[in-house]
Amino acid sequence: MAKIGVYIYTGDGIAEAVDVEGLIKVATKSGAAVAKSHADLYSPEGVAMVKQDIEAEGLTAISLVGMSPRYEYKTFDFPGVYLDKTGIRELVAWSHRIDPSDEKADSKKEHVQELAEDYIRMAVTKLQKVQMPTPDKLEAPNTRILVIGGGVTGMTAALEAAEAGYEVTIVERTGELGGYGMQVRKQIPVGPDYSSLVNPVAPSLIEKIKSNSKITVKTETEIARIYGAPGKYRVSLKAAGTKSEWDAPVPLTPEEKLDANGKELSAEDQKKVYAAKNEGRNDYMVEDANGELFGAVILAAGWKPAIPADGEYPHLAWGNPNVLTNHQFEQLAKSGKLKRPSDGKEIKTVAFVQSPGGLNDDADFPYASAVTTMVSLKQAKYVREDYPEDGKAYVLYQHMRTPGQYEYFYKGLQDDAGIFLSKGAVTAVKDNGAGGLTVTVEKTLLGDNIALDVDVVVLATGMLPATKDEAVVNLAYRQGPAFRDLDLFGGYCDSNFICFPYETRRTGIYAAGPVRRTMTIEESMEDAAGAALKAIQAVKAAEEGHAVHPRTWDFDYPDFYFQRCTQCKRCTEECPFGALDDDEKGTPKPNPTRCRRCGTCMGACPERIIGFKDYNIDVVGSMIKSIEVPDDDEDKLRMVIFACENDAYPALDMAAAKGLGWSPLPRIIPVRCLGSVNVAWIKDAMSSGLDGVLLLGCKFGDDYQCHFVKGSELADRRMANVAETIKSLGMEPERVKLAQIAIDEYDKVPGVIDAFVEEIVGMGPNPFKGF
Amino acid sequence: MGEQQQMQPDLSFVKGVMASGGETVKKCYQCATCSVVCPLSTNDSPFPRKEMLWTQWGLAGRVSGDVDVWLCHQCGDCTKHCPRDARPGDVLAAIRINAIRYYANPKALADVFNSPGGVVGAVIAAAVLVLIVAAVWSQITGNAFPFPLNHEGKVEYHEFLSVIPIDAMVLPIVAWIIYVSYNGVSRFWNDISKGAGLPESFTGTYPKPSIGLLLSKYLGPAVMEILSHSRFKKCGQTAERARGHLLLLWSFIILFAVTNYVFIAEDLFHAALGLISKVTPLPLYHPVKLAANVGGIMLIAGILMVKSMRTQKTEEGVLTSAAPDWVLIWLIFAVGATGIGAEVLRLINIAPIAYPVYILHLATIIVLFLSLPYGKFGHLIYRTTAYVFQRWADDVKAGKAGFGLEKAVGAAH
Repeated sequence: MAKIGVYIYTGDGIAEAVDVEGLIKVATKSGAAVAKSHADLYSPEGVAMVKQDIEAEGLTAISLVGMSPRYEYKTFDFPGVYLDKTGIRELVAWSHRIDPSDEKADSKKEHVQELAEDYIRMAVTKLQKVQMPTPDKLEAPNTRILVIGGGVTGMTAALEAAEAGYEVTIVERTGELGGYGMQVRKQIPVGPDYSSLVNPVAPSLIEKIKSNSKITVKTETEIARIYGAPGKYRVSLKAAGTKSEWDAPVPLTPEEKLDANGKELSAEDQKKVYAAKNEGRNDYMVEDANGELFGAVILAAGWKPAIPADGEYPHLAWGNPNVLTNHQFEQLAKSGKLKRPSDGKEIKTVAFVQSPGGLNDDADFPYASAVTTMVSLKQAKYVREDYPEDGKAYVLYQHMRTPGQYEYFYKGLQDDAGIFLSKGAVTAVKDNGAGGLTVTVEKTLLGDNIALDVDVVVLATGMLPATKDEAVVNLAYRQGPAFRDLDLFGGYCDSNFICFPYETRRTGIYAAGPVRRTMTIEESMEDAAGAALKAIQAVKAAEEGHAVHPRTWDFDYPDFYFQRCTQCKRCTEECPFGALDDDEKGTPKPNPTRCRRCGTCMGACPERIIGFKDYNIDVVGSMIKSIEVPDDDEDKLRMVIFACENDAYPALDMAAAKGLGWSPLPRIIPVRCLGSVNVAWIKDAMSSGLDGVLLLGCKFGDDYQCHFVKGSELADRRMANVAETIKSLGMEPERVKLAQIAIDEYDKVPGVIDAFVEEIVGMGPNPFKGF
Repeated sequence: MGEQQQMQPDLSFVKGVMASGGETVKKCYQCATCSVVCPLSTNDSPFPRKEMLWTQWGLAGRVSGDVDVWLCHQCGDCTKHCPRDARPGDVLAAIRINAIRYYANPKALADVFNSPGGVVGAVIAAAVLVLIVAAVWSQITGNAFPFPLNHEGKVEYHEFLSVIPIDAMVLPIVAWIIYVSYNGVSRFWNDISKGAGLPESFTGTYPKPSIGLLLSKYLGPAVMEILSHSRFKKCGQTAERARGHLLLLWSFIILFAVTNYVFIAEDLFHAALGLISKVTPLPLYHPVKLAANVGGIMLIAGILMVKSMRTQKTEEGVLTSAAPDWVLIWLIFAVGATGIGAEVLRLINIAPIAYPVYILHLATIIVLFLSLPYGKFGHLIYRTTAYVFQRWADDVKAGKAGFGLEKAVGAAH
């Protein structure tokens, strides 16, 4: 039985907002062994007070009631003592200010006091239910880092990791290191002078790799499968282009699970189809004893040039030998002075076409980007380098994309007398009968439709990520060999790269360079350094037994009560990170070092057998039940809000700090992710007489902001199912709602809460109240 | 698909503008802030954005057919507000220098008259020419050379070079200047008529106003506008420049008038026709002499004001000054300084200095006017032409110029 201490901070307006003595009484009544207040709780004196109590009273868990849990309190980390925090400063004092001249000040004060008391009850209840997490440390985890791809990105990542003291192996499919970095004539400058190009960096990287004893290079080699988890990956390598029994099996697609009539195949038949599809490959759960061990993986597989199909872009004369892609033009430039493919004449005039759509569509070529824009500028400079006297390069664009410092590069090249720039729609490219081509451009900056005679036309075609058409990483995971595709990123190795660069949806595997978005060589090198650090962090986390970003402090991991598992596979299907494998029967096999502790599996489980030591069905369910529900006062309806602690909860904190307030009726419980919200909690809330439940989570959809990718979206789907249940009980399904809140929408969130409360008040009390 | 224009960007034109003070032209990214802030730009044909683009694209033909280039006074408002430091005001100044060269013949002289070395060389050459003519003249008159004194023992330039050798020397040069200038202005007129979309006749020429109409309706008002500098004074950043320039302009008019008085009285009535006795040197109290001295002082004052304003505005960064700007300023200053100097030295009778200064005075005047169709001084004829043309083109387009041209203009659009 936990021995609990509750410490209430009375500064920052808390003492003025609530009756602190009353809160202390509630804490004691709820079961706290010690309950005290302190005006300067977070000072050394406060720490000393708590420490003394722990020693004198043998406290095993303490609750700091005051500042938001989002603040660090390292000074309260006492070994063996569970630390919890409740932010009544923000959730009560600051968000429920009462004007003393208000006529209803007394009744309002009563509401606020009851709110604070409920937070105390929930805090004590939580501590009564939690257990101290114990880290699951890997025994002797492997710390070697595998780099897939030997281009500039891969080489840089390898060098960075090696310099940090880690052993690295580079696996390169071709026979040589260097990748595309060795195929370019020049690179884009990243420092002054921005008007001239710089020599390729790849040769010097190759030299460094060769002289680094910590780096092993395996050329003409591919990944057959990556088995295992961070800290203990077992990687089967194979000669490039060959088949192997260790090739990672591929699960059935939804279509493959159907018969000819569109009906789902039986489990047996599905197995047969699966076996046929993966014939000659070992089961994904089989470990290759001869495989090499690695701790983390950096995916730097890069990109390949897009080449239009035969007959594509007829209006741009694609197929004419003098119409080239940017890749072909680069090869031409690399091989020497620019000469026309058709007849070897000097290339004195070139039109660079950025957008193929003519007047109908201003989009650039598929998979084009800022990089291809800048490549056009770079290649325009080749024309000027080779023929400074009379070389002319026309860059015809719908978008001139030169972000950040590359604006200087644009300016530098714009200054060249022989580089002509105009926005415009390229409507036709035709053979001009004199060996060259005539390019027609409409809607130009010049105001006219113009025709330009050129020697060569260069199309700014795109860069296809290596992961577009193949898995590359070839994971032996239940969810398949590739990153699970969200169908949002067009084949780029998907991750929410704005919030979490390098992160993929597979813990321990970090993507860098153009495999995750188009990048210049210089950007790729910066990216590689970042990914190398992430890989090192993953290895360290496996060693110390804590989660990786975004819950790096978390030493807990989900427990499964397998005796009651019904093999429904929801957790294995829904885990956003593919952390769970399974056995023949479908019983989940956890891989703690792959897990990011979001709790999506816990939210998914209909049997409620998944939980964390300090965050599980019982802990939160008991907190809900500890809320005091007056059953005879229609003014005192009660709701619970599950607020995602990544975005919605910080938004609430900010709203409170900005002096915004909301109704005192709902009680807020922070959750790791809406994906972790189990419908059991909704049922607990409704059955204990609460009048409504609001879920505040991250935005989902195309521009999703969920830290765990799918959590809020899954919650939304589950709540739709709950609505049916609530309806069948004769209650309004609107009593349970989900709202999407971005972290910066602090100004919006009070309105969302108040609108919800108003709706519930309109519906009246929960009819089951008091039963 | 609409009509399309075959483009042949002229790289050498871009390089030419960039090399003569317009090195920033390529920085323009077409936001048109310049055209918006320009106090002189017109609603129907805003500038200088389009000129920047045309120059970037090496469209020499369009730029040369663009009268707006000459409606610009390099106020610097565009340059001040340009977000890319493309300095449109300076670019247009460079375009004008290039345009003068484009219409000049032979073009090599444009290079001479736009460079300090070339002008110094030209002045020396002119001085040598004056010396040679004077030496030859002394053989005819029997006067002492090189420092002749009159019967009173005083410096008298007439003794050195009388009007006949001066005219013999200067009149052919004037004829040449008029020929080259007329030729340039005619081609310029054609180009800007074409650029403005005026209707072309079947013979490939463009309409011109009759002489009577030209003087009364177009040149007259244009000159009146120039005499008041009403347009130059609209400049925002550098409106002060108009003051010195106006003073300078009036000094030129005064000096032109007194020179003509002397030319008619002395050269024509006295020397050529023998109707009157010798008039020069005029006594100091003579109204014409008074006017000449006032004009000379105005010239020196005006050019010094122009120079100091240009220096100041250059330092402020509102405008950049290229070699042709300074060449013209120093040349005019030299004309004024040698003119006053020659007079003063004559009066205090120091022959060994007076005569060389007088020679330099004649030489600098020759060079200044010879540079009219070649150097920056040419803005006098081209800007005036532009002012005239602007009025004319408006009338043609509005159908007020007669000829039933409005229909043709309407059809062209």
